[in-house]
Parts: sequence; structure tokens; C-alpha cells
Amino acid sequence: MEIATQLVTYGILMGCIFAFVSLGLSLIFGVMNIVNFAHGEFMMVGMYVTFLISSYLRLDPLVSLPFAGALGFLLGMISYRFLITHILRGPMVAQLFGTFGLMLFLRYLVMFIFGPDVRTISHGLLVGKTISFGWISLDASKVITAGACVLFFGFIYWMINRTKLGRALRATSLDTEAARYMGIDTERMNALAWGIGGATVGVAGGLLAHFYYVTPTVGMLFILIAFATVALGGFGSITGAFLAGIIIGLIQGLGGHYLSELKFTFIYAAYFLTVVLRPRGLFGW
Amino acid sequence: MKGTMLLEVQSLVKEFGGLVANADISLRVDQGEIVGLIGPNGAGKTTLFNCIVGYYKPTGGRVSFEGENITGWPAHRVARMGIARTFQDMKIMPLLTVEENVMVGAFCRTGDRHTAVREAQEILELVNLKQEAHASPTELPIASQKRIELARALATKPKLVMLDELAAGLNPLETKEIIQTLHRMKQERNLTLFLTEHVMEFIMTISERLIVMAAGRKIAEGTPERVAKNESVIEAYLGERYAEGR
Amino acid sequence: MGQVLRDIFSFGDRPFIERIVLFVFIAVGLIFPWLVESAYGRAVMIKFLLIALFGLGWNLIGGYGGQVDLGQAKNVGFGAYATALMMLHWHTPFWLTVPVGMFFATAESFAVAYPMFRLRGHYFAIATLCVALVWKELFVFWDWTGGARGVEISIRPAPNFTYMQFGEVGYHYFIFGLFMAQFLFMNWFRKSKLGYQLQAVRDNEDAATSLGTNVTGTKVKAYCITAALGAVGGSFMTVYYLYIDPDLVMPLDLSILIAMTVMVGGAGSIWGPMIGAAALIPLDMYLGAWLAGTGHYGIDFIIYGFIIMIIAAYEPKGIWGIIQKMSRRA
Repeated sequence: MEIATQLVTYGILMGCIFAFVSLGLSLIFGVMNIVNFAHGEFMMVGMYVTFLISSYLRLDPLVSLPFAGALGFLLGMISYRFLITHILRGPMVAQLFGTFGLMLFLRYLVMFIFGPDVRTISHGLLVGKTISFGWISLDASKVITAGACVLFFGFIYWMINRTKLGRALRATSLDTEAARYMGIDTERMNALAWGIGGATVGVAGGLLAHFYYVTPTVGMLFILIAFATVALGGFGSITGAFLAGIIIGLIQGLGGHYLSELKFTFIYAAYFLTVVLRPRGLFGW
Repeated sequence: MKGTMLLEVQSLVKEFGGLVANADISLRVDQGEIVGLIGPNGAGKTTLFNCIVGYYKPTGGRVSFEGENITGWPAHRVARMGIARTFQDMKIMPLLTVEENVMVGAFCRTGDRHTAVREAQEILELVNLKQEAHASPTELPIASQKRIELARALATKPKLVMLDELAAGLNPLETKEIIQTLHRMKQERNLTLFLTEHVMEFIMTISERLIVMAAGRKIAEGTPERVAKNESVIEAYLGERYAEGR
Repeated sequence: MGQVLRDIFSFGDRPFIERIVLFVFIAVGLIFPWLVESAYGRAVMIKFLLIALFGLGWNLIGGYGGQVDLGQAKNVGFGAYATALMMLHWHTPFWLTVPVGMFFATAESFAVAYPMFRLRGHYFAIATLCVALVWKELFVFWDWTGGARGVEISIRPAPNFTYMQFGEVGYHYFIFGLFMAQFLFMNWFRKSKLGYQLQAVRDNEDAATSLGTNVTGTKVKAYCITAALGAVGGSFMTVYYLYIDPDLVMPLDLSILIAMTVMVGGAGSIWGPMIGAAALIPLDMYLGAWLAGTGHYGIDFIIYGFIIMIIAAYEPKGIWGIIQKMSRRA
């Protein structure tokens, strides 16, 4: 019984974290129907920002979060403006490998500057601390990350569905031309989607750095989890991404407990089955 | 052999969710005929075409070709059966040359490259595109691209060719030329033509018989002269007041 | 029969200049060990030919077929492991292991192809990626494949034609031979019925269907052939490196490298894989290795990533597309 609760709680916790990482991807895909293979690298950059601020400026890593988010935002918008606008004009294959190039570029740029070594953050308000709920003991940083995830999801959901900006974004995603005729600056909407997507995953990265290894290649692992999450939830659905994240977290937690070497196999298999059996995902269009 | 029924459509129905695009359509096309399908926008003409060739699966009804029931067959099987179709939006393969585009059609009937090349060259001669055989189709004018589509369809050695708005975007001279090409094709290859069109001069001139659709149903059938005077047809196109006015 | 042979060897439909360049390439390939005597230089050439070989196979589904497959490494792995395990346990001669690897790659590909080809574009690419990752994890997990420790082949004195183990020069001709064989196969393929139907499917599925092509069937066939070709390269890796593990023969990075090489060079063109490999390998082996010696890793992929972005944004047809545009203006 105890193990079960522990596993489920842990699974839900990790699920929130996965969902947090996937939020940006879902947003970008929802608005623009393009998959950003460099999404994991945006997160990785956020992690490095946090690491640098914590190690070199000796500030609490929490302080770095706004900066990680800001850098993510910038990266997203710059990528859109200088890369995506061009590759959208090309064939589908170009769209695919364009963001691949960005992924390689960012990953190896960071590796070149900081080296391939694994870094960790050792000091901080949340680092290494645990919170106890009854007999369950959880990493403080993970709990806070999950909490931040819920906050961000709530905020993005509110923004998309209750604000004028959100409506403009939705209009752009449903029919770009029609949106333009109605006076919406679709270019700005797209850039904004990329910016917000980058910002969310940058912050997610900053939080992740509290308890996960910081290395240039961490992006690849999380992008696959993000794809599985967004596919399961349904490309384009924010709520879907959140719920799917939880599900993936549970799969990984339970699967990882029983067959730890194959825990990622369960995630990949989940993606594959979802996309083959129910391409729309749980809530997508 | 005129008079032998080639294509028969019986009570065809096609629904998309709640929308009924084709309701209870029945028609026939006989060997050697040139039949036109007209109707105002949204009448369901292209939907009907798509149901016949297998691009869509009909919700109800029956399609038979040469006596065989082909309802719901996948499009590539229908093509191999002997029905070719051209597209409104000219789905040319941009990365292949003109000749190669036509060869793809020829490969429907042969597995050998050299036969395919020969076939393609013969057909390109027939549609007056021999010079442009090695050009890239995207560099050619629309009228030529239409002829590539025709050539491609022809290469599959069809018995029935279904043409979807072939004359769209052509000027009167080009329209006349393509009518001549069609007649030539029909003669040489013993074809039956079933076309849908918005350009009236084109379809009225070339069709021996017209079928008129409106709002998903067949509303009239007959020779072009008779159909032009038919009240329901005028009403469908121009509205009640014009029909009454007559 | 004579017709088939002529189709394999004839480049008559290509411009004269291309045939000259091909001739020069083959000539250089044949006399290369005399041109370059350094061990490192020869290793670079072997690596170039190996990546180009992988590229040729991938170009079939990815270039002529237009389906971006990001999981080719699994097929390389199947070939490599088939050869390694059969040699290790049963002392099977090399050339008997190759069909086994090809068979497994083809069979597995056939099994996953139908469900996967219900997907398009990004979804398809990610699915291929996932399948390959699952296999890699399984190979790490299983004991009989050696797990993470991999499989080691006994080193036999060169030259050994049963187990295809040689010195530098021997390996050069070996990989060069494999490359030329697949190159000639691709030359035949692009002119064949399946080749044309595949390109038609790539360019316009609806049109292809209306011309009698079974779209899914064509894609599946192409995917399986690519798998078989990839496995051959994997078998080579086993007898060249004499030690394989999942990280060497089945990693995601290899799948990406193969796909990117062809896209940069020019997907859908017979020259694409060679051009792409020629762009990357020297970059990697010279600039990358040199800087890595000074402790700076990754410069080669920074440049490569940048090149990929430029190509995607401005010339999706790759370097070959650029060459063609320039020659048209000239």
C-alpha cells in the first residue's frame, strides 16, 4: 500500500514536470502546426542559465527563473523570425529538418562553450530538500516545479480562452488567412506563440536544474517525453497536454519501478500506440 | 460500340457528417459517349466524381463499371479497372519532367521502363507536347499543364476518362485547342468522356448529352439545347425570378 | 537481361559533366590507397564511404520517397548484430550473415510499416524515431545481445575473406565495393517502375493514386528496401570495428546523421548522399577532431547545424539544388 501511494504520488509529480516541459511545444504546435525539434534545447538553455547564475553569481537558483524565462522567450522569437518564417515557405521535409538544425546548433554551441561535462546545482533554497506528507517524502524542488506547472498551465489556459490575445491566437491557429482578413497580425501571433513557448520551457528548465543533471544533451531526452505527452494529449490541446503529462508520468513511474531499464521504452511505446490507434490524441483536433 | 453501358451509378448517396452532398443520384454513361455534368457551385459535382473513382467511399448506392460493382473500391484499383480522372487543381508532380509525369501513368500498365518511355513519347505526340518532354512542368503555361494531365491519364490506357473542370483558367483559344485535343484522343484511343465544367462554351460545345445537378441532386438530363431551355436548370443557376421571367 | 544490366550501369540520362565527375570519383576511389598513405586519411575515407553508403539507402525512402525516417539506425543495428552474434556463436562466414541481417531488418520494417504509414509528416518522423529508440533500449536490456557491453568479434589475421577482416587498404576496397554496389542499385532503382511510382507518391499522393499506384504499398516496399540496405552497412561496421554495442550501431544520433547527410547533400538525387557525406565527414574528422584535441567539443556540429538551418530555409533541395541552380544560370 505504501509503495503504491509513493509510486502514484511520484508518478503524478513527474507527470506534472513532463507536462510543464510539453506546454510550450503544445502551444507552438497548436498555433502553427509545426513541431519544434529544438524545444528540448530551449529547455536546456534555461537549465544552463540557472546553473550559471547559481554557480558564478552565487545567487539562489530561484532568482534565475525570470532570466531563464526571458532567454527562452527571446530564443523562441528569434528562432521564429529568422528561421521558421523561411522554412515555412518550403516543403514539409524542410520544415522538419530546419528545427533539427537549430537543435544541433544550440546543443553543440552550449557543448562547445561549457564542455560536455555534467553539472549539478549544489546550493539553493529548494536544492536537496524534501517535504514530507505523512509517510511520503518528496523532493521539495520537484513539488515546487509541479506547483509551478499547474500555475503556468492555469495561466496559459486562462490566456488562451479568456483574453483577447488568446482569441487572436486561436483565430490564427484555426485559419491564418481569415484571421489576417480580420485585422489580426498573424506574424506577431506566431512569434508570440514561439516566445511564450520558449519562455515556459525555459522556466521549466530552470526549475528542472534544481534536481536534474545539467548537460548539453539533456534536451533530447525531454523532447521525446514532450512529443509523447503532446501526442497523447492531442496536438493543440492545452488541457490535453496536462493530463497526458500526468499519464506519462504515471506510466514512467510504475514502469520504471518494475522494469527500470525499459522505463523510456514505455514512453516511446505509449507515443507510438497513441499515434497509431488514436492520432487525434485524447483531446486534440 | 455505342450503346453499351460503360458506367452506371445507382441511387448514390454521399454524406459528410450531417451534410448530404450527393442524394440519390442515378446516371449512366455509354461506351463512346461524351457526357457533361453541370450545375451551380456546391451542387456536388466533384463529390460525385470522387465517389465514382474511389477517392471517397459513397455512403449509399452503387457504382458499376463494365458490369462490375466497383462501389467503394480504392482509387488505385478503379484506375487499374480503366477509369482515369483529371483534377481541377492539376496535381502535377513538380520534381519529375513532363515525360516522367506521363511515364508514371504508363507504369500502371507495364513494369518495364522502356515500354513506359515509348508509351509516354507516343502520347506526348498525341497531345502536342513532344517538344517539352524533358522540361519541368512547373515552367510551362497552364494550358500545357492541362495537356500533361490529359497525357498522364491517357497513359493508364483507360476506357473512361473523367475530366474535372479541365477548361478552368484557359482563354477561348486554349479552350478550342483542348477541345480539338480531346476529340483527337477520343478518336485514336476509343475513349468515353465524362466531364464536369463551369465554362459553358466548352461543355455545351463538346457534350453530346448533359446531366444537370443542383443541391446534391440530379435535376435534368438531355441534349445541350433541351437542357438550356429547361426551367429547373435556369432556376438552379439564376434563381426563381429569371425562370419565371421566361 | 541485357536491358537490366544497361539500366544499372547507364547514366546516359545525366548530363555529360556529371558522368565525368562520377568517373573521376570512381578513379580516385580505386587508386586512393596510393594517393593517401596516412592511416588517419584512409580512416576518413572509409568513414566517408560508410556514411555515404548509409545515405544511399536512406535516400530511397527519404529522398525519392519523401518520407523522413529518423530511425534508420535500428536497421544498421539489426545488420550489425546479426553478423556479430552469428560470427561469435557459430563462426558463420560474413556473407552468410548479411542476408540474415537484411531479413530481420526487412521483416521488422514490414511489421511496423503499415501502422506507421497511416501517419504523415512530423508524426511519421517521430514514430520512426520512437521505434528505433525502443529497439535500442531492448538491445541494451537483453542479455543475449550482450546488453550494454556489446559484442566483440575475435580479431583474425588479415586478410581474411571468410570473416572479411583486413588491413586499412582491404577495408577501403571492401567499403568502396559495397558503396558502388548500392550506388548502381540506386541508379537502377530510380529508373524502375517502383522508383517512379515512389516519386509520384512523394510529389502528389492523390495524383499517384489516380494513376493506379497503391500509395501505402509503395511506401511500405520502399521502407523495407531501405531497411535491408541499411543492414548491409551495419554488417560492415561489425567486421570493421570488431566490437559493437548499441551506442555505436543503433543510436539516435546515427539516424539523425544519416538523414541530415542526405538532406544537406540533396535528397532525391543520386548524388545527394555523396555530397552530404563529403560536406560532413571532413568537417567532423578534421576540424572537429582537431578542436576536440584542445578540449573544445562540438564545433563540427555547430557548423553542421547551421548549414542545415540555411539549407532548410533557403534551399530545401540541398547542396545539389544549389549546384543545379547555379549551373542553370551559367
